[in-house]
Amino acid sequence: MHEFSVMSYLLETVEEEARLAGANKVLAINLVIGERAGIVDDSLRFYFDMFTPGTLVEGAQLHVRRTSMRFHCGQCQCDYGQVGDDFCCPLCHTVGQLTADGSELLIESLEIDV
Amino acid sequence: MSTPSVNLRTVKIVKNILASNDQAAEQNRQRFLEAGILAVNVIASPGAGKTSLIIKTLQTLRDQARIGVIEGDIAGSIDTEKVLTAGACDAVQINTGGGCHLEANMVQQALNDLDLDQLDIVFIENVGNLVCPTHWALGEQIKLCLASTAEGHDKPIKYPEIFALSDVIVLNKIDLIELVDFERAAFYASVRALNRHAPIFEVSCRNSAGLAAWANWLLSQQRSASMLQEAEDRPLNNFDKIRD
Repeated sequence: MHEFSVMSYLLETVEEEARLAGANKVLAINLVIGERAGIVDDSLRFYFDMFTPGTLVEGAQLHVRRTSMRFHCGQCQCDYGQVGDDFCCPLCHTVGQLTADGSELLIESLEIDV
Repeated sequence: MSTPSVNLRTVKIVKNILASNDQAAEQNRQRFLEAGILAVNVIASPGAGKTSLIIKTLQTLRDQARIGVIEGDIAGSIDTEKVLTAGACDAVQINTGGGCHLEANMVQQALNDLDLDQLDIVFIENVGNLVCPTHWALGEQIKLCLASTAEGHDKPIKYPEIFALSDVIVLNKIDLIELVDFERAAFYASVRALNRHAPIFEVSCRNSAGLAAWANWLLSQQRSASMLQEAEDRPLNNFDKIRD
């Protein structure tokens, strides 16, 4: 349920950036959200619809690009996603090391009407 | 009938959604550092023993560190009363009114009610939740993830991010380990996949096992933080001037 707060912070930034760019309207918001951020898309959209009526952002498309959590196996020198109920490499079954992938929580760009 | 024309433009931003929280957290961090305080953000699920760990720690360090507490709860001030009764030097309650985590601006307000010059360590007890508080920096130098054996050894698999981002992990209720079929090796393997460096302390807030080692580590962190600040406060000596 932290999507409520995430959406308020997100809209604050979006409205500020849109105004700075001289937007009449925001048409689309492009986000990158990693699996590790623990954000539920439906919940994010729910708060988006709740917060945006009457604003510059009303009716905008919310595009979310998802990235996944990945691990690196030092033995096999490969990267892999979680496959079972542990963090082991699918090839050699030793425990790998978390990489930075999947931790994004970013506003990438806006599409605006100027 | 003409349709209104749209003058489309793409604005590249690439900005962290929580950037303004991070800014407020940085201001909090500065206030802690200037006061020589080590701030610890305590994150755990409900019932893992956050308040118990804080109470046991302040009792263990009673003669060595002055400890303050910022209590974050959805409602009520039960824990603030508990820590004050147990000997906390100061405590402030934040009620989030339904909010599932603390944010930096809430802590900023709470700091105005704490006498920072009289404290060495401040525990910020977050709302009981292993997901939502994870990405909200509060200005702490140490993010503490508290798990307990009764919750099961698979907590790191189910809630990886908090274990990945923590500076220290405390495993509470170690006295129950045999009773709850907690597999220590599985817990350690998954924690180490997520976080290679964070020290792990096994404790029991019930029978005090392991608390001295945890408290000593915390105290050593406080001393290094405060020494760093003293070094920064000290005027440059001649050697520094020449070197610069």
